[in-house]
Amino acid sequence: MKGLGADGPYWDALSAGELKLPRCADCGHWHWPAPFRCADCGSWYFEWVATPIEGDLYSWTRTWQPFDGTENLGTPYVSVLVELPEAGGIRLLGLAADTETPKIGTKMTGAIASSHVWGRDVPMIRWSAVAA
Amino acid sequence: MSARFPVTTAVAGIGVRQYKRGTAPLPEQGVLVGAIVDACADADIDPADIDGFVSYGDDHNEPTRLMKDLGTKDLCWSSQIWGGGGGGIAGAFGLAAAAIMTGQASTVAVFRALVQGNSGRLSGAVMAHHLNDHLIGTGLVAPALECAMRAQRMMEHDGVPAQCVEDLVRASYYHGSRNPKAVTYGKDLDVEVYRSSRLISEPFHLFDCSRENDGAGVLIMTSADCAKDLKQKPVYLRGVAQGAGKGWGDLCQNEPNYSSAGFESVARRLWAQTGLGPQDIDVVQLYENFAQQGIASLIDHGFCTVETVSEVLRFENLIAPSGKLPVNTGGGNLAQGFIHGIGMAIEAIEQLRGTSSNPVPGARNCLLAGGPGAPLVSSAIFSTDQE
Ligand SMILES: [Zn+2]
Repeated sequence: MKGLGADGPYWDALSAGELKLPRCADCGHWHWPAPFRCADCGSWYFEWVATPIEGDLYSWTRTWQPFDGTENLGTPYVSVLVELPEAGGIRLLGLAADTETPKIGTKMTGAIASSHVWGRDVPMIRWSAVAA
Repeated sequence: MSARFPVTTAVAGIGVRQYKRGTAPLPEQGVLVGAIVDACADADIDPADIDGFVSYGDDHNEPTRLMKDLGTKDLCWSSQIWGGGGGGIAGAFGLAAAAIMTGQASTVAVFRALVQGNSGRLSGAVMAHHLNDHLIGTGLVAPALECAMRAQRMMEHDGVPAQCVEDLVRASYYHGSRNPKAVTYGKDLDVEVYRSSRLISEPFHLFDCSRENDGAGVLIMTSADCAKDLKQKPVYLRGVAQGAGKGWGDLCQNEPNYSSAGFESVARRLWAQTGLGPQDIDVVQLYENFAQQGIASLIDHGFCTVETVSEVLRFENLIAPSGKLPVNTGGGNLAQGFIHGIGMAIEAIEQLRGTSSNPVPGARNCLLAGGPGAPLVSSAIFSTDQE
């Protein structure tokens, strides 16, 4: 994966049905995208912490134009960015479960799913607004 | 107080060949050679004397492959700014200046060429640079979609109104309709057509998005002293900054200043090294892959704030010759055409030579703000004066 590569445990956990995110084993800071080294304290050790798939909608876009690679999503589809308070405010990309107009700040809950893109399955999280 | 940027280099020649997508008469390298020869004729220099080449945005045309056509006597400088997007465009002039100031090269061509049969669709090429499974799995397969999410936050959360976006788009088309070199020459953009245009990726409508053209653009840089002896009035590089401050970069949408365009540290360094500020800028060439991103860039550079954006980003204020902040006087990436932004650098030089189709009277300083929202961004100031 270009420019990343330290996030193998994230993909392994998603494939096993769990969300895990990295926290520095020495200074406790959360990091995303996953680094090899914690620039805050110099540590090379991270705990991959099981994290509830819950957060606040940070931003979104609803796409109407079909782009190469989105054939299996159909149009429109809604991509979301969700901030996870339980993981130090890490923001994760995902897809919305429906095509309703989202609202920034909405409480969201997610379920692990996968997208089929360019001939392979890519794990991702599908997010829904928490019923008020 | 930081050190001043030495104003000892200048743009001495410009050349551009722009075509409708899919209609270039030659493959990419041939089109580029043509634009280089045009720029040399403009400056009245021999193409064989170019001894340095600089580009950005993953351009495919390695200088060693141009030598045969140009008759290059000695290739002394060959470099490119990192990054797949237009963020590096202004920084490319910094590379050229660094080569000239240190004596490593004397005559440097800054270029960008793109003929889509050769390099693929621009959007795909830009995106391939940093696609990963986080993006692929969530449908974010084109630059528009990632930028749209930042723009949505800027509009819905920060409160930048849609009217400002519309006014910026209209100003670009106003200039384009009056520029014979623009794709939209002679064609005004009807406001109703704009408002009812189809959605690409919300909040972007079709007309908020840059075009894609085939072509090549070239700017020849030399020392200021050399430029004074050449055919054209020199346009000096007054300052240039590139990079990303801590908290910006390729962070998978985890930047603290998420809805900005990423210019905070670059703009700060540019103003410090030139001793200039937004009030000293007479005209702006504002790279807008998408109009909303252009607004974020203007905010980052200090031309307005989220609070004052509605006062500053008004149509009348953005057009030449009467506006206080004329922006994209050639039509910009929206209306002039889009060869990965190189046309905006050329318009900056035309403005300061006094040959723009939409001249800003008495313009001395022109800001070139590079591709907004890219992991690496850059900005430069061109000037009619050395001090
Ligand atoms: Zn640490």
